[in-house]
Amino acid sequence: MRTKIFTFVAILMVLSIALAACQPQAPQVQEVIKTVIVEVQGTPQVVVVTPEPVEQPAGPKTLRLNMGPGDIPTIDPALSTDTSSVQIVELTTVGLTRQNEETTALEPGMATSWEVVNNEDGTQTVTFKLRDDVYWVKYDGNEVVQVTDCEGNPRKVTAMDFEYGILRTLAPATASDYAYVLAFAIKGASEYNAGENEDPESVAVQALDETTLEITFVDQAVYNLNIAGMWVAHAQPKWLIEGDDCTEARGDRWTETGFFQGYGPYTLKEWVHDSYITLVKNPFWVGSESVPEAKIEEVTWTMLDEAPAFAEYEAGNLDVAGVPLADIDRVKADPTLSAELTIAPVLCTYYYGFNTKAPIVDDVRVRRALSMAIDRESLIANVTKGEQEPAQWFSRPGLAGAPTLETHPDLGVKYDPEKAKAELQSYLDEKGLTADQLDLTLMFNTSSGHQKIAEAIQQMWKDVLGVDVKLVNQEWKVYLETIKGADTPQIWRLGWCQDYPDANNFIREVFYPGGSANPNTDGSVGGVSWVNETFNQLVLDAAKETDPQKRVELYAQAEQILVYEDAVMIPIYWYTRVTVTKPYVQRTFSVLGGLEHIEKWDIVQ
Amino acid sequence: MGRYIARRLIYLVVVLIVVSFITFGLMHAVPGGPFDREKALPPEIMANLEKRYHLDDPLWKQYLNYLYDVFIPRLTTKPPAGTLEDDFLINAKVGGVWIRWMNFGPSYASRSRTVNDIFRQQLPISAQLGTLALLVALIIGMPLGIIAALKQNTILDYFSMSVAIFGVSVPVIVLGPLLIWIFGVTLKWLPPTGWGAKPPYLLGFLPTQWGWDYFRFAIMPSVALGLGSSAVIARLTRASLLQTIREDYIRTARAKGLQERLVITRHALKNSLIPVVTILGPMFAALVTGTFVTELVFGIPGMGKYFVTSITNRDYPVIMGTILLYAVFLVIANLVVDIIYAYLDPRIRYE
Repeated sequence: MRTKIFTFVAILMVLSIALAACQPQAPQVQEVIKTVIVEVQGTPQVVVVTPEPVEQPAGPKTLRLNMGPGDIPTIDPALSTDTSSVQIVELTTVGLTRQNEETTALEPGMATSWEVVNNEDGTQTVTFKLRDDVYWVKYDGNEVVQVTDCEGNPRKVTAMDFEYGILRTLAPATASDYAYVLAFAIKGASEYNAGENEDPESVAVQALDETTLEITFVDQAVYNLNIAGMWVAHAQPKWLIEGDDCTEARGDRWTETGFFQGYGPYTLKEWVHDSYITLVKNPFWVGSESVPEAKIEEVTWTMLDEAPAFAEYEAGNLDVAGVPLADIDRVKADPTLSAELTIAPVLCTYYYGFNTKAPIVDDVRVRRALSMAIDRESLIANVTKGEQEPAQWFSRPGLAGAPTLETHPDLGVKYDPEKAKAELQSYLDEKGLTADQLDLTLMFNTSSGHQKIAEAIQQMWKDVLGVDVKLVNQEWKVYLETIKGADTPQIWRLGWCQDYPDANNFIREVFYPGGSANPNTDGSVGGVSWVNETFNQLVLDAAKETDPQKRVELYAQAEQILVYEDAVMIPIYWYTRVTVTKPYVQRTFSVLGGLEHIEKWDIVQ
Repeated sequence: MGRYIARRLIYLVVVLIVVSFITFGLMHAVPGGPFDREKALPPEIMANLEKRYHLDDPLWKQYLNYLYDVFIPRLTTKPPAGTLEDDFLINAKVGGVWIRWMNFGPSYASRSRTVNDIFRQQLPISAQLGTLALLVALIIGMPLGIIAALKQNTILDYFSMSVAIFGVSVPVIVLGPLLIWIFGVTLKWLPPTGWGAKPPYLLGFLPTQWGWDYFRFAIMPSVALGLGSSAVIARLTRASLLQTIREDYIRTARAKGLQERLVITRHALKNSLIPVVTILGPMFAALVTGTFVTELVFGIPGMGKYFVTSITNRDYPVIMGTILLYAVFLVIANLVVDIIYAYLDPRIRYE
């Protein structure tokens, strides 16, 4: 008898699993899309699951978002380098200036006003006046409380905290990645950061009193005020990091749950590494026009891959989520989801670079031909599908100083198969070769997304020019080494996103000699391995130009050299973000590479 | 037995040193470093980072320093002076002396934490997941195998074995999203992603939040991870039980008129489980160390994800620490199995 029961239970357990596995074809939906366009509408086997609208429960307003997979590296202003980290830093602390997330305009942050003086030696001194009604706060396990000093008085955020923050970022011992942005902009910062001068006093940052901060910049550049507002220049709590009479020094560990102190519209409630991070509204933050008081009580980010996050969104457990490429067609076809879908621009550019010293692509005609043979519109419609914009040059429109398609419709490079053929033919005739004899290699870092794009472009080159281009991929870190050194392939892939919304951050910091994609100034191979004096002069002039109209013209000329006259790189597309948002979330859509100003959001209950 | 265990522990230390040497060598032989980024860093910034983490020292010195930090205990009379010095996995007071041992170094990718912090916070989750997956494997696999053996060549046998073949052939990367789709998104019975426990943990590994809430999160990932192993257990149980049933002593038991139920439970089962127990050790170790895909699919904050991303990030201390830890784990799991084995089979004696 017992054996029978035993058998029965065992069968039951197994059956439950087997039945779960023998479900009809519903799950196939996730795998509908491979690389071809699938017309979802009208294919009967696709089952679209429409989640019932989930009402946010009444009570405190909470918002549930997703950060993307993996833990946030840090939430320390001095050490942050990636979007996720910066997102938290921008909500828990506020810079001297702040960027409007929709217009990218410069707005007051902690500074209420500033006075700019251009000095005779070419430097620029900016005197910031700070708000005096902002306090350091922390979450004590139950509520947000003010931080007190050793006498028991609430600690205000002062100019000294900003001075300390900037100097901590620059200190060589801090080893901050992004210190270079401050180092190249602030007088004396570069020497201090490189360890050539060990005296922090040599850096031209000075708190004159509790609400006055003076910074002297190397150049008289328009983007100085943006740099002053960057996350690496936010105020930082010296007493907590280095310790004082009543606080234990926490060093780099000051950002952990239970210890973190900030002063922005939100502050840290809980950070469970690799799982989620929760911020809670800071009631002591007095709203200003540019940084209002938060309306949503708590914001939680999960740390999920795109696919599980989208599943959570459909299950009603997330309020905002990115749409995985494989689901885009289904979302567009679904009446509910398509209403929740938004495609918004992001200040990033996807491009291919040339090693201009490598055989074959050392000739500008070949480079131009390859660039003009890419049908960017078709690539976006059939492969990337995120409604990205076809790129004609490098500095994405929307950046200060960057040309726009409205004012410069014909600038740069476009799909032009006839011209592309003619350019290549002129090269082939001169060398006495045929197109199929050209030995070309395109390299990218291993990823299915890059692979699909590369395969599509490979086909376009074959169809338009008759050139066979080999595809090679390498693991990310190996790849980064390869494209910096002597083995840089003929054609390689990279992307670039803004740190501050100015064309200078793109064109100068990437392609100017010594820039990120043009690292070697001694003429050796690495990145694009390219020098053009006219381009260099234009970029330098543009950085100093104060007339916005003239500035755009200077950058437009530089772009024309970069992508057409010398055709050093192939701009492919300007990024967008494909997101779904529940209807009860009132939000803004940031163009700052995913950096949202959530204090402006609301939940309609 | 005691001498045997001592010998195995000495052997463990040798294994760890060899493993650490090979890992360290491979890690630094691969091109690309921890601070290579899409936005290439200026040389001054790179120099500051390398100096901070002593990556500018010669490799032999880096390696010896690492061994010294991990293997050699520090003895002091002073308690650790605050968080800035709390870098050791073991801080114990024995008599009047503080023993501080096993400093696995900082994590490059997670600046506010050391490798020890990551171990304390993420490893328990992988251990829980691995344990639950092993339980799932046993609960499904053993009955299947037993039924298949007792009802050999009947429909039940074929059914059990087809389930087993299904379990072996469907990888987590397919089964995971399938389960999420059915039970998480469509039926909304179970949460699609996440884990129901968070630090701190009892005894450093047991969840403090038990109950339905914990298991709601754990069911799908444990099944997804354990199903493949359950199939292995089922097939092994079946084969082993079939072999045992044909032994002479079973025929004797039946001949003396013992009930079939007693014959099976008292004589056959225990003996047929020996080979199954043998694979449980390595299987458990493989489950705990092989949680990566499951953690990725179900968004579980375990060690697996850290380990794999540490390799792509070239986060040297995390790579070294995790590999050493997994090595300890494998050796200990095998040792435990060998001891249980001796208990189950009186013919086995370790000298």
